Amino acid sequence: MEIDPKKQSSSEVLSLELPVKPAKVSLLGTTKAFATRKGIIDALQPTTLEVREGEFLVLVGPSGCGKSTLLNLIAGFDAPTSGQVLVDGKTVTGPGYDRMVMFQEHALFPWLNVIDNVIFGLKRKRKLTRADRREVARYYLDLVHLTKFENAYIHELSGGMKQRVALARALAPNPRILLMDEPFGALDALTRERLYGQVQEIFARTQKTVIFVTHNVREAACLGDRVMVFTQRPGRIKREITLNLSRPRAFNDPAVSEYAAQILIELKSELEGEEVLYDEENQLHRNAVLPLPDHFLADGI
Amino acid sequence: MVAERLWELWSDGYFLPSLKATLTRMSIGFGMSVVIGLIFGLAMGTSSTINQSLKSLFLGLQTLPTVAWVPISILIFGVKDNDNGIYFVIVMSSMASVAISTADGIANIPPLYLRAAQTLGTSRWAMGWRVIFPAALPSIVTGIKLGWTLGWHGAVSAELIKGTAGIGFLLHMGRELNDMSQVVGIMIITIMMGLLLDRFLFGTIERRIRQRWGLERSH
Repeated sequence: MEIDPKKQSSSEVLSLELPVKPAKVSLLGTTKAFATRKGIIDALQPTTLEVREGEFLVLVGPSGCGKSTLLNLIAGFDAPTSGQVLVDGKTVTGPGYDRMVMFQEHALFPWLNVIDNVIFGLKRKRKLTRADRREVARYYLDLVHLTKFENAYIHELSGGMKQRVALARALAPNPRILLMDEPFGALDALTRERLYGQVQEIFARTQKTVIFVTHNVREAACLGDRVMVFTQRPGRIKREITLNLSRPRAFNDPAVSEYAAQILIELKSELEGEEVLYDEENQLHRNAVLPLPDHFLADGI
Repeated sequence: MVAERLWELWSDGYFLPSLKATLTRMSIGFGMSVVIGLIFGLAMGTSSTINQSLKSLFLGLQTLPTVAWVPISILIFGVKDNDNGIYFVIVMSSMASVAISTADGIANIPPLYLRAAQTLGTSRWAMGWRVIFPAALPSIVTGIKLGWTLGWHGAVSAELIKGTAGIGFLLHMGRELNDMSQVVGIMIITIMMGLLLDRFLFGTIERRIRQRWGLERSH
Protein backbone atom coordinates (compact mmCIF):
# COMPACT_ATOMS: atom_id res chain seq x y z
CA MET A 1 0.00 0.00 0.00
CA GLU A 2 1.45 3.35 -0.87
CA ILE A 3 1.25 6.08 1.71
CA ASP A 4 1.39 9.77 1.09
CA PRO A 5 4.71 10.91 2.65
CA LYS A 6 3.04 14.01 4.09
CA LYS A 7 0.94 11.78 6.28
CA GLN A 8 3.86 9.96 7.87
CA SER A 9 4.40 12.56 10.55
CA SER A 10 3.60 10.22 13.42
CA SER A 11 4.96 6.74 13.67
CA GLU A 12 1.89 5.60 15.58
CA VAL A 13 -0.34 6.80 12.81
CA LEU A 14 1.87 5.14 10.26
CA SER A 15 1.60 1.79 12.01
CA LEU A 16 -2.16 2.10 11.84
CA GLU A 17 -2.11 2.70 8.15
CA LEU A 18 0.09 -0.24 7.35
CA PRO A 19 -1.77 -3.25 6.04
CA VAL A 20 -2.67 -5.75 8.71
CA LYS A 21 -2.49 -9.43 8.05
CA PRO A 22 -5.94 -10.38 6.86
CA ALA A 23 -7.63 -13.12 8.83
CA LYS A 24 -9.02 -16.49 7.89
CA VAL A 25 -12.65 -17.24 8.73
CA SER A 26 -13.87 -20.81 9.07
CA LEU A 27 -17.31 -22.20 9.69
CA LEU A 28 -17.53 -25.83 10.72
CA GLY A 29 -21.00 -27.36 10.48
CA THR A 30 -22.48 -24.11 11.73
CA THR A 31 -26.26 -23.94 12.14
CA LYS A 32 -28.61 -21.34 13.49
CA ALA A 33 -32.23 -21.71 14.53
CA PHE A 34 -34.45 -18.98 15.94
CA ALA A 35 -37.34 -19.50 18.29
CA THR A 36 -40.34 -17.50 17.13
CA ARG A 37 -44.00 -17.44 18.05
CA LYS A 38 -44.67 -19.89 15.25
CA GLY A 39 -42.11 -22.33 16.50
CA ILE A 40 -38.48 -22.88 15.72
CA ILE A 41 -37.24 -21.58 12.39
CA ASP A 42 -34.13 -23.06 10.88
CA ALA A 43 -32.29 -20.08 9.48
CA LEU A 44 -29.09 -21.84 8.56
CA GLN A 45 -28.50 -25.48 7.81
CA PRO A 46 -25.12 -27.01 8.63
CA THR A 47 -22.67 -24.87 6.74
CA THR A 48 -18.99 -25.46 6.31
CA LEU A 49 -17.08 -22.68 4.72
CA GLU A 50 -13.55 -21.40 4.57
CA VAL A 51 -12.80 -17.78 3.76
CA ARG A 52 -9.18 -17.30 2.80
CA GLU A 53 -6.95 -14.49 4.02
CA GLY A 54 -7.55 -11.38 1.96
CA GLU A 55 -10.40 -12.88 0.01
CA PHE A 56 -13.46 -10.96 -1.14
CA LEU A 57 -16.29 -13.42 -0.58
CA VAL A 58 -19.83 -12.60 -1.64
CA LEU A 59 -22.91 -14.35 -0.26
CA VAL A 60 -25.92 -14.23 -2.59
CA GLY A 61 -29.36 -15.63 -2.00
CA PRO A 62 -33.06 -14.96 -1.88
CA SER A 63 -34.47 -12.90 0.97
CA GLY A 64 -34.51 -14.70 4.27
CA CYS A 65 -32.06 -17.38 3.15
CA GLY A 66 -29.77 -16.98 6.12
CA LYS A 67 -26.96 -15.04 4.52
CA SER A 68 -27.34 -12.16 6.96
CA THR A 69 -27.65 -14.70 9.77
CA LEU A 70 -24.31 -16.11 8.72
CA LEU A 71 -22.77 -12.64 8.76
CA ASN A 72 -24.18 -11.96 12.23
CA LEU A 73 -22.61 -15.18 13.47
CA ILE A 74 -19.21 -14.15 12.17
CA ALA A 75 -19.69 -10.65 13.58
CA GLY A 76 -20.44 -12.22 16.95
CA PHE A 77 -23.88 -10.66 17.40
CA ASP A 78 -25.44 -14.12 17.57
CA ALA A 79 -24.08 -17.42 18.77
CA PRO A 80 -24.46 -20.48 16.51
CA THR A 81 -27.00 -23.13 17.57
CA SER A 82 -24.46 -25.80 16.75
CA GLY A 83 -21.12 -25.99 15.02
CA GLN A 84 -18.31 -23.50 15.22
CA VAL A 85 -17.33 -20.10 13.92
CA LEU A 86 -13.59 -19.54 13.93
CA VAL A 87 -11.47 -16.54 13.10
CA ASP A 88 -7.86 -17.63 12.64
CA GLY A 89 -8.67 -20.80 14.52
CA LYS A 90 -10.16 -19.00 17.52
CA THR A 91 -13.84 -19.35 18.38
CA VAL A 92 -15.87 -16.17 18.01
CA THR A 93 -17.46 -15.28 21.35
CA GLY A 94 -18.81 -11.81 20.66
CA PRO A 95 -18.33 -8.67 18.61
CA GLY A 96 -14.66 -7.92 18.20
CA TYR A 97 -12.38 -5.13 17.22
CA ASP A 98 -10.82 -7.28 14.49
CA ARG A 99 -14.16 -7.56 12.66
CA MET A 100 -15.89 -4.39 11.58
CA VAL A 101 -19.44 -4.48 10.32
CA MET A 102 -21.07 -2.23 7.75
CA PHE A 103 -24.86 -2.36 7.87
CA GLN A 104 -27.51 -1.78 5.25
CA GLU A 105 -28.46 1.38 7.09
CA HIS A 106 -25.48 3.59 7.70
CA ALA A 107 -25.74 3.38 11.53
CA LEU A 108 -23.78 6.62 11.88
CA PHE A 109 -24.37 8.56 15.09
CA PRO A 110 -26.45 11.68 14.43
CA TRP A 111 -25.08 13.47 17.49
CA LEU A 112 -21.55 13.44 16.08
CA ASN A 113 -20.26 15.11 12.96
CA VAL A 114 -18.57 13.17 10.16
CA ILE A 115 -15.03 13.12 11.48
CA ASP A 116 -16.10 12.39 15.06
CA ASN A 117 -18.04 9.40 13.76
CA VAL A 118 -14.86 8.07 12.17
CA ILE A 119 -12.85 8.88 15.31
CA PHE A 120 -15.41 7.00 17.44
CA GLY A 121 -13.92 3.64 16.52
CA LEU A 122 -10.41 4.85 17.35
CA LYS A 123 -11.16 5.63 20.99
CA ARG A 124 -10.03 2.13 21.90
CA LYS A 125 -6.53 2.87 20.63
CA ARG A 126 -5.25 4.34 23.86
CA LYS A 127 -1.76 5.05 22.56
CA LEU A 128 -3.00 7.57 20.05
CA THR A 129 -3.22 11.22 20.97
CA ARG A 130 -6.21 13.29 20.03
CA ALA A 131 -4.31 14.73 17.07
CA ASP A 132 -3.24 11.27 15.91
CA ARG A 133 -6.82 10.04 15.90
CA ARG A 134 -7.89 13.03 13.88
CA GLU A 135 -5.12 12.37 11.42
CA VAL A 136 -6.05 8.72 11.01
CA ALA A 137 -9.70 9.68 10.56
CA ARG A 138 -8.73 12.22 7.90
CA TYR A 139 -6.70 9.59 6.10
CA TYR A 140 -9.71 7.28 5.80
CA LEU A 141 -12.06 10.11 4.92
CA ASP A 142 -9.63 10.93 2.15
CA LEU A 143 -9.84 7.33 1.00
CA VAL A 144 -13.57 7.72 0.46
CA HIS A 145 -13.12 11.26 -0.92
CA LEU A 146 -15.01 13.03 1.84
CA THR A 147 -12.42 15.20 3.60
CA LYS A 148 -14.35 18.31 2.60
CA PHE A 149 -17.30 17.14 4.67
CA GLU A 150 -15.48 16.30 7.89
CA ASN A 151 -17.39 18.90 9.89
CA ALA A 152 -20.79 18.21 8.38
CA TYR A 153 -23.54 16.56 10.36
CA ILE A 154 -24.88 13.22 9.20
CA HIS A 155 -28.28 14.46 8.08
CA GLU A 156 -26.59 16.91 5.75
CA LEU A 157 -25.12 14.11 3.63
CA SER A 158 -26.67 12.16 0.78
CA GLY A 159 -27.33 8.43 1.10
CA GLY A 160 -24.18 7.50 -0.82
CA MET A 161 -22.04 9.85 1.23
CA LYS A 162 -23.41 8.39 4.45
CA GLN A 163 -22.40 4.91 3.34
CA ARG A 164 -18.95 6.17 2.43
CA VAL A 165 -18.56 7.67 5.91
CA ALA A 166 -19.73 4.34 7.33
CA LEU A 167 -17.08 2.61 5.23
CA ALA A 168 -14.41 5.03 6.47
CA ARG A 169 -15.55 4.43 10.04
CA ALA A 170 -15.34 0.67 9.58
CA LEU A 171 -11.90 0.91 7.99
CA ALA A 172 -10.35 3.36 10.45
CA PRO A 173 -9.62 0.89 13.29
CA ASN A 174 -7.86 -1.17 10.60
CA PRO A 175 -9.76 -4.40 11.18
CA ARG A 176 -8.60 -7.65 9.65
CA ILE A 177 -12.07 -8.58 8.50
CA LEU A 178 -14.73 -6.37 7.01
CA LEU A 179 -18.30 -7.67 7.11
CA MET A 180 -20.71 -5.87 4.80
CA ASP A 181 -24.42 -6.58 5.03
CA GLU A 182 -26.06 -5.25 1.86
CA PRO A 183 -24.31 -1.94 2.41
CA PHE A 184 -25.48 -0.43 -0.86
CA GLY A 185 -28.94 -1.96 -0.96
CA ALA A 186 -30.70 1.29 -0.15
CA LEU A 187 -28.84 3.41 -2.71
CA ASP A 188 -29.82 4.33 -6.22
CA ALA A 189 -28.21 2.47 -9.12
CA LEU A 190 -25.97 5.31 -10.24
CA THR A 191 -24.51 5.95 -6.80
CA ARG A 192 -24.00 2.23 -6.33
CA GLU A 193 -22.08 1.92 -9.56
CA ARG A 194 -19.70 4.67 -8.52
CA LEU A 195 -19.17 3.06 -5.14
CA TYR A 196 -18.18 -0.28 -6.66
CA GLY A 197 -15.12 1.40 -8.13
CA GLN A 198 -14.20 2.92 -4.79
CA VAL A 199 -14.72 -0.30 -2.90
CA GLN A 200 -12.47 -2.22 -5.29
CA GLU A 201 -9.79 0.43 -5.05
CA ILE A 202 -9.94 0.41 -1.24
CA PHE A 203 -9.99 -3.37 -1.14
CA ALA A 204 -6.83 -3.46 -3.25
CA ARG A 205 -5.11 -0.94 -1.00
CA THR A 206 -6.10 -2.13 2.45
CA GLN A 207 -5.91 -5.90 1.91
CA LYS A 208 -8.63 -7.17 4.17
CA THR A 209 -10.75 -10.26 4.24
CA VAL A 210 -14.16 -9.08 3.11
CA ILE A 211 -17.45 -10.95 3.45
CA PHE A 212 -20.16 -9.17 1.52
CA VAL A 213 -23.86 -10.00 1.58
CA THR A 214 -26.10 -8.94 -1.29
CA HIS A 215 -29.03 -10.03 -3.38
CA ASN A 216 -27.83 -8.12 -6.39
CA VAL A 217 -26.14 -10.54 -8.78
CA ARG A 218 -24.39 -7.85 -10.77
CA GLU A 219 -22.91 -6.44 -7.58
CA ALA A 220 -21.75 -9.91 -6.62
CA ALA A 221 -20.07 -10.48 -9.99
CA CYS A 222 -18.46 -7.07 -9.95
CA LEU A 223 -16.91 -7.33 -6.48
CA GLY A 224 -16.32 -10.93 -5.48
CA ASP A 225 -13.39 -13.28 -5.77
CA ARG A 226 -15.76 -16.06 -4.94
CA VAL A 227 -19.56 -16.07 -4.81
CA MET A 228 -21.61 -18.41 -2.66
CA VAL A 229 -25.19 -18.91 -3.78
CA PHE A 230 -27.61 -19.80 -1.00
CA THR A 231 -30.78 -21.86 -1.16
CA GLN A 232 -34.15 -20.87 0.18
CA ARG A 233 -34.70 -21.01 3.89
CA PRO A 234 -33.53 -23.07 5.60
CA GLY A 235 -30.40 -21.71 3.99
CA ARG A 236 -27.44 -23.68 2.90
CA ILE A 237 -24.74 -23.05 0.34
CA LYS A 238 -25.96 -24.37 -2.97
CA ARG A 239 -23.16 -23.46 -5.28
CA GLU A 240 -19.78 -21.87 -5.22
CA ILE A 241 -18.69 -19.78 -8.19
CA THR A 242 -15.10 -18.64 -8.51
CA LEU A 243 -14.66 -15.50 -10.57
CA ASN A 244 -11.52 -15.51 -12.64
CA LEU A 245 -11.52 -11.84 -13.47
CA SER A 246 -8.83 -9.24 -13.07
CA ARG A 247 -9.38 -6.11 -11.03
CA PRO A 248 -10.51 -3.40 -11.20
CA ARG A 249 -13.66 -4.59 -12.86
CA ALA A 250 -16.05 -2.29 -14.64
CA PHE A 251 -19.69 -2.64 -13.74
CA ASN A 252 -20.65 -2.96 -17.40
CA ASP A 253 -17.86 -5.30 -18.41
CA PRO A 254 -19.28 -8.17 -20.55
CA ALA A 255 -17.31 -10.71 -18.54
CA VAL A 256 -18.93 -9.41 -15.37
CA SER A 257 -22.32 -9.67 -17.04
CA GLU A 258 -21.62 -13.23 -18.00
CA TYR A 259 -20.84 -14.21 -14.42
CA ALA A 260 -23.86 -12.25 -13.24
CA ALA A 261 -26.04 -14.24 -15.62
CA GLN A 262 -24.55 -17.46 -14.31
CA ILE A 263 -25.29 -16.47 -10.72
CA LEU A 264 -28.79 -15.41 -11.66
CA ILE A 265 -29.53 -18.75 -13.28
CA GLU A 266 -28.52 -20.48 -10.06
CA LEU A 267 -30.74 -18.18 -8.07
CA LYS A 268 -33.70 -18.50 -10.37
CA SER A 269 -33.63 -22.25 -10.45
CA GLU A 270 -33.65 -22.05 -6.70
CA LEU A 271 -36.77 -19.91 -6.75
CA GLU A 272 -38.68 -21.83 -9.41
CA GLY A 273 -38.18 -25.26 -8.02
CA GLU A 274 -40.37 -25.13 -5.00
CA GLU A 275 -42.81 -23.23 -2.93
CA VAL A 276 -41.46 -19.79 -2.23
CA LEU A 277 -41.73 -18.19 1.13
CA TYR A 278 -41.54 -14.43 0.81
CA ASP A 279 -43.01 -13.16 4.03
CA GLU A 280 -44.51 -14.95 6.93
CA GLU A 281 -47.96 -14.13 5.55
CA ASN A 282 -47.50 -14.23 1.81
CA GLN A 283 -46.90 -17.58 0.28
CA LEU A 284 -46.40 -17.70 -3.44
CA HIS A 285 -46.91 -21.03 -5.07
CA ARG A 286 -45.15 -22.99 -7.76
CA ASN A 287 -44.99 -21.23 -11.11
CA ALA A 288 -46.33 -18.06 -9.59
CA VAL A 289 -42.78 -16.87 -9.32
CA LEU A 290 -41.32 -13.74 -10.87
CA PRO A 291 -40.99 -14.09 -14.62
CA LEU A 292 -37.66 -12.28 -14.52
CA PRO A 293 -36.30 -11.32 -17.94
CA ASP A 294 -32.64 -12.11 -18.28
CA HIS A 295 -31.67 -8.66 -19.45
CA PHE A 296 -32.78 -7.31 -16.10
CA LEU A 297 -29.72 -8.67 -14.38
CA ALA A 298 -28.79 -5.74 -12.21
CA ASP A 299 -31.95 -5.88 -10.20
CA GLY A 300 -31.31 -9.35 -8.99
CA ILE A 301 -34.00 -11.10 -7.08
CA MET B 1 -53.07 49.94 37.61
CA VAL B 2 -51.29 46.66 37.42
CA ALA B 3 -48.20 48.27 35.93
CA GLU B 4 -48.33 50.97 38.58
CA ARG B 5 -48.44 48.46 41.37
CA LEU B 6 -45.60 46.47 39.85
CA TRP B 7 -43.54 49.61 39.61
CA GLU B 8 -44.27 50.35 43.27
CA LEU B 9 -43.16 46.88 44.25
CA TRP B 10 -40.03 47.38 42.20
CA SER B 11 -39.14 50.75 43.75
CA ASP B 12 -40.01 49.52 47.27
CA GLY B 13 -37.37 46.86 46.80
CA TYR B 14 -39.79 43.97 47.15
CA PHE B 15 -39.82 42.73 43.65
CA LEU B 16 -36.21 41.92 42.74
CA PRO B 17 -35.30 40.07 45.96
CA SER B 18 -38.49 38.02 45.61
CA LEU B 19 -37.76 37.11 42.02
CA LYS B 20 -34.20 36.28 42.95
CA ALA B 21 -35.34 34.10 45.84
CA THR B 22 -37.71 32.09 43.65
CA LEU B 23 -35.14 31.67 40.87
CA THR B 24 -32.47 30.59 43.35
CA ARG B 25 -34.83 28.02 44.86
CA MET B 26 -35.73 26.87 41.38
CA SER B 27 -32.14 26.42 40.26
CA ILE B 28 -31.18 24.46 43.36
CA GLY B 29 -34.39 22.45 43.58
CA PHE B 30 -34.62 21.79 39.88
CA GLY B 31 -30.92 20.91 39.69
CA MET B 32 -31.49 18.24 42.35
CA SER B 33 -34.57 17.09 40.49
CA VAL B 34 -32.69 16.66 37.20
CA VAL B 35 -29.90 14.68 38.86
CA ILE B 36 -32.34 12.41 40.70
CA GLY B 37 -34.56 12.07 37.63
CA LEU B 38 -31.59 11.13 35.44
CA ILE B 39 -30.44 8.49 37.89
CA PHE B 40 -33.92 6.95 38.09
CA GLY B 41 -34.38 7.25 34.34
CA LEU B 42 -31.05 5.57 33.63
CA ALA B 43 -31.91 2.73 36.00
CA MET B 44 -35.33 2.36 34.41
CA GLY B 45 -33.94 2.52 30.90
CA THR B 46 -31.33 -0.16 31.48
CA SER B 47 -33.30 -2.60 33.62
CA SER B 48 -36.75 -3.74 32.62
CA THR B 49 -37.48 -4.93 36.16
CA ILE B 50 -36.86 -1.47 37.59
CA ASN B 51 -38.80 0.04 34.71
CA GLN B 52 -41.82 -2.13 35.33
CA SER B 53 -41.91 -1.42 39.02
CA LEU B 54 -41.30 2.33 38.82
CA LYS B 55 -42.96 3.44 35.61
CA SER B 56 -46.57 3.28 36.74
CA LEU B 57 -45.61 4.85 40.06
CA PHE B 58 -43.99 7.80 38.27
CA LEU B 59 -46.85 8.12 35.82
CA GLY B 60 -49.18 8.21 38.80
CA LEU B 61 -47.09 10.87 40.49
CA GLN B 62 -47.43 13.01 37.41
CA THR B 63 -51.22 13.05 37.67
CA LEU B 64 -50.95 14.61 41.11
CA PRO B 65 -51.28 18.42 40.94
CA THR B 66 -48.02 19.99 42.10
CA VAL B 67 -49.80 21.95 44.81
CA ALA B 68 -50.81 18.65 46.42
CA TRP B 69 -47.19 18.21 47.51
CA VAL B 70 -47.35 21.30 49.71
CA PRO B 71 -49.31 19.89 52.68
CA ILE B 72 -47.10 16.82 52.96
CA SER B 73 -43.99 18.93 52.64
CA ILE B 74 -45.21 21.06 55.56
CA LEU B 75 -45.85 17.94 57.59
CA ILE B 76 -42.38 16.60 56.86
CA PHE B 77 -40.32 19.77 57.00
CA GLY B 78 -42.50 22.04 59.12
CA VAL B 79 -43.01 25.74 58.44
CA LYS B 80 -39.57 26.70 59.68
CA ASP B 81 -37.68 29.40 57.91
CA ASN B 82 -35.70 27.23 55.55
CA ASP B 83 -36.22 26.18 51.98
CA ASN B 84 -36.07 22.41 52.34
CA GLY B 85 -39.81 22.07 52.07
CA ILE B 86 -39.86 24.10 48.88
CA TYR B 87 -37.04 22.03 47.37
CA PHE B 88 -39.02 18.94 48.23
CA VAL B 89 -42.07 20.24 46.37
CA ILE B 90 -39.99 21.21 43.34
CA VAL B 91 -38.25 17.84 43.18
CA MET B 92 -41.44 15.85 43.64
CA SER B 93 -43.26 17.87 40.97
CA SER B 94 -40.64 17.65 38.27
CA MET B 95 -38.51 14.57 38.91
CA ALA B 96 -40.96 12.05 37.46
CA SER B 97 -41.12 13.73 34.07
CA VAL B 98 -37.33 13.80 33.77
CA ALA B 99 -37.12 10.15 34.80
CA ILE B 100 -39.85 8.95 32.46
CA SER B 101 -38.53 10.76 29.41
CA THR B 102 -34.99 9.55 30.13
CA ALA B 103 -36.24 5.98 30.39
CA ASP B 104 -38.31 6.34 27.20
CA GLY B 105 -35.39 7.94 25.39
CA ILE B 106 -33.15 5.01 26.29
CA ALA B 107 -35.81 2.44 25.38
CA ASN B 108 -36.26 4.03 21.96
CA ILE B 109 -32.60 4.02 20.93
CA PRO B 110 -32.38 2.11 17.63
CA PRO B 111 -30.64 -1.22 18.36
CA LEU B 112 -28.51 -0.57 15.28
CA TYR B 113 -26.61 2.19 17.12
CA LEU B 114 -25.79 -0.20 19.92
CA ARG B 115 -24.63 -2.88 17.49
CA ALA B 116 -22.50 -0.41 15.59
CA ALA B 117 -20.96 0.81 18.82
CA GLN B 118 -20.30 -2.78 19.89
CA THR B 119 -18.36 -3.61 16.75
CA LEU B 120 -16.42 -0.38 17.12
CA GLY B 121 -15.05 -1.73 20.39
CA THR B 122 -16.97 0.41 22.84
CA SER B 123 -16.47 -0.53 26.46
CA ARG B 124 -19.35 -0.80 28.89
CA TRP B 125 -18.67 2.56 30.44
CA ALA B 126 -18.18 4.29 27.10
CA MET B 127 -21.41 2.73 25.86
CA GLY B 128 -23.38 4.61 28.51
CA TRP B 129 -21.56 7.87 28.19
CA ARG B 130 -20.82 8.05 24.48
CA VAL B 131 -23.78 6.20 22.99
CA ILE B 132 -26.78 5.73 25.29
CA PHE B 133 -26.74 9.20 26.83
CA PRO B 134 -26.31 11.19 23.60
CA ALA B 135 -28.75 8.94 21.75
CA ALA B 136 -31.40 9.56 24.42
CA LEU B 137 -30.57 13.26 24.76
CA PRO B 138 -33.38 14.71 22.61
CA SER B 139 -35.92 12.91 24.74
CA ILE B 140 -34.11 13.83 27.97
CA VAL B 141 -34.14 17.52 27.06
CA THR B 142 -37.86 17.36 26.30
CA GLY B 143 -38.40 15.85 29.75
CA ILE B 144 -36.29 18.51 31.40
CA LYS B 145 -38.26 21.22 29.63
CA LEU B 146 -41.55 19.76 30.81
CA GLY B 147 -40.10 19.22 34.28
CA TRP B 148 -39.09 22.86 34.47
CA THR B 149 -42.68 23.99 33.93
CA LEU B 150 -43.96 21.57 36.55
CA GLY B 151 -41.22 22.54 38.97
CA TRP B 152 -42.04 26.21 38.47
CA HIS B 153 -45.67 25.47 39.37
CA GLY B 154 -44.43 23.65 42.45
CA ALA B 155 -42.12 26.45 43.55
CA VAL B 156 -44.78 29.13 43.31
CA SER B 157 -47.38 26.92 45.03
CA ALA B 158 -45.03 26.15 47.89
CA GLU B 159 -44.11 29.79 48.36
CA LEU B 160 -47.77 30.71 48.62
CA ILE B 161 -47.96 28.88 51.88
CA LYS B 162 -44.57 28.84 53.46
CA GLY B 163 -42.34 31.45 51.88
CA THR B 164 -41.02 34.62 53.43
CA ALA B 165 -39.90 35.91 50.07
CA GLY B 166 -40.50 34.90 46.49
CA ILE B 167 -43.00 35.20 43.71
CA GLY B 168 -45.54 33.01 45.47
CA PHE B 169 -45.12 35.04 48.65
CA LEU B 170 -45.89 38.27 46.78
CA LEU B 171 -49.06 36.62 45.46
CA HIS B 172 -49.98 35.62 48.98
CA MET B 173 -49.27 39.13 50.24
CA GLY B 174 -51.47 40.58 47.51
CA ARG B 175 -54.34 38.42 48.66
CA GLU B 176 -53.84 39.38 52.31
CA LEU B 177 -53.87 43.05 51.39
CA ASN B 178 -56.88 42.53 49.13
CA ASP B 179 -54.78 44.04 46.33
CA MET B 180 -56.08 42.81 42.96
CA SER B 181 -53.47 44.73 40.95
CA GLN B 182 -50.62 43.07 42.81
CA VAL B 183 -52.11 39.59 42.37
CA VAL B 184 -52.68 40.05 38.65
CA GLY B 185 -49.30 41.73 38.20
CA ILE B 186 -47.44 38.91 39.90
CA MET B 187 -49.41 36.34 37.91
CA ILE B 188 -48.29 38.03 34.72
CA ILE B 189 -44.70 38.06 35.96
CA THR B 190 -44.93 34.36 36.82
CA ILE B 191 -46.15 33.52 33.34
CA MET B 192 -43.47 35.68 31.75
CA MET B 193 -40.62 34.13 33.74
CA GLY B 194 -41.80 30.62 33.05
CA LEU B 195 -42.20 31.36 29.37
CA LEU B 196 -38.89 33.18 29.10
CA LEU B 197 -36.87 30.33 30.52
CA ASP B 198 -38.84 27.71 28.64
CA ARG B 199 -38.40 29.45 25.29
CA PHE B 200 -34.98 30.93 25.57
CA LEU B 201 -33.05 28.51 27.73
CA PHE B 202 -34.55 25.05 27.22
CA GLY B 203 -36.11 25.88 23.88
CA THR B 204 -32.73 26.92 22.47
CA ILE B 205 -30.99 23.81 23.76
CA GLU B 206 -33.72 21.61 22.36
CA ARG B 207 -33.65 23.35 18.98
CA ARG B 208 -29.86 23.05 18.74
CA ILE B 209 -30.01 19.32 19.37
CA ARG B 210 -32.83 18.78 16.94
CA GLN B 211 -31.00 20.71 14.25
CA ARG B 212 -27.82 18.74 14.77
CA TRP B 213 -29.76 15.50 14.45
CA GLY B 214 -31.56 16.76 11.38
CA LEU B 215 -34.95 16.43 13.04
CA GLU B 216 -35.69 20.06 12.31
CA ARG B 217 -34.60 22.37 9.52
CA SER B 218 -32.02 24.92 10.54
CA HIS B 219 -32.74 28.54 9.74
